[in-house]
Amino acid sequence: MIRNPLSVSFSVWRAIFLREALDRLFDMRGAWFWLLAEPVLHIGFMAFVFSIMRVRTVGNVDVFVWIMVGMLAFFLFRRIAVQVSYAVDCNRPLFTYRQVKPFDPAIARAVLEAFLMAIISTFILGTAALLGHDTFPGDSLLVMQAVFGLWLFGFGYGLVASVLMELVAEMEHVLKILMLPLYLISGVIWPLSAVPHPYRDILMINPIAHGLELVRLGFFPDYHTVSGLSMQYLYAWAVISVFLGLLLYRRFALQLVMR
Amino acid sequence: MIIVEDLHKRYKTEHGPGKWVLQGVNLTIPRNVNVGLIGANGAGKSTLLSIIGGIDHPNKGRVERRCRLSWPMGQGGLEPTLTGRQNAKFVCRVHGHQEDLADRLAFVLDFSELGEAFDEPVNTYSSGMRSRLQFALSLAFDFDTYISDEVTAAGDAAFRKKAAAAFQAMTNRAGLIMVAHDEGALKQFCQAGIFLYQAKALWFDDIGEAFKAYKDTMPT
Repeated sequence: MIRNPLSVSFSVWRAIFLREALDRLFDMRGAWFWLLAEPVLHIGFMAFVFSIMRVRTVGNVDVFVWIMVGMLAFFLFRRIAVQVSYAVDCNRPLFTYRQVKPFDPAIARAVLEAFLMAIISTFILGTAALLGHDTFPGDSLLVMQAVFGLWLFGFGYGLVASVLMELVAEMEHVLKILMLPLYLISGVIWPLSAVPHPYRDILMINPIAHGLELVRLGFFPDYHTVSGLSMQYLYAWAVISVFLGLLLYRRFALQLVMR
Repeated sequence: MIIVEDLHKRYKTEHGPGKWVLQGVNLTIPRNVNVGLIGANGAGKSTLLSIIGGIDHPNKGRVERRCRLSWPMGQGGLEPTLTGRQNAKFVCRVHGHQEDLADRLAFVLDFSELGEAFDEPVNTYSSGMRSRLQFALSLAFDFDTYISDEVTAAGDAAFRKKAAAAFQAMTNRAGLIMVAHDEGALKQFCQAGIFLYQAKALWFDDIGEAFKAYKDTMPT
């Protein structure tokens, strides 16, 4: 019996997905707890800081939910980008089975991370709703569209980054240094609409900033957002990075796997 | 049947391309024959196995696999932090055996004789236990040809006997390509031999002849 290539790929994705889930949730004692604790602590700390500064609203909306939504969307991007970057490296023993190609762990990790973030986000937003905040999105479709754009861009970024790190070892440090300011310049903890004019346009080159603002706009229909916000811009980056990543994987598949 | 045509392989080193590990290797490995691969350390035995197994790629030449071929046992393939059972599940799923997972797991547990250690992480295993797990794992699937790098010969005498018996039992159904440093083990498992010398491969229908050729090249 010869299985067709698609069914081989599906069974490989399924196997890696389950394996990765096990690794991510039960790798060390309480690994699943820290997955949840990281965003909760970040959000809690920033909410605390804002409440001390007596900031109640940002751009006409509840600051607490504003931080929560932005933070979760940013974490979605960052976790997928990082997990996919190291997908090949962490699954090296699996390439002993020639059914497994370098792309397989990457897609499995991206999908797994999306699942985990969906659960974590539902949990955090649900808890906030019980505490009396209005966390139900006003325009769910817009939220989904923006979140999917961020997911896609994270995936593409991870694909490109993993090949770059494999080809040029120093890139790992460069990309790590890039990730830190990304948190600040994407408008996670302060509104980009407060940035004066020439600099705001520069910050809006960053597609993640577009993604975060769009997710917020989906949650609060009367949110005062940054001008020049564009869904197309986010998706252009996402699609181009994914295709570039796939191209690099095709070209450098052997270098990625071979020792 | 496995056909290897004009295979060239060299690795990248710190100082540019290294010397040829395999240079112009031509082989035809028939079905249902147990073949032993012999040669000095660094002669390219493991390299040839991983290229035949499809996990490494030649610089030039090609390999045609006209059979279902196992992965090269013994060249990794186990995730150290997961338990034996979790690793086994993964391998079953990759090979498309989601439905009869329980049967295959039962077979692996039974054949590897790991007992309770089956539910312990693989990094707690001894090298003999690892080999037994890998060996049992590949036997859980119906391959036409099995590739083994130092696995079959590892393990204690009792396990080796059991492994040899398993291959004898399916001798009219499946073949084996193996590397081992122990002459006794190779003769126990294999009829034919391939001798790797100076980046070339020589085929011998009788493994004894291959060993004789190997010993002739050794300085006395």
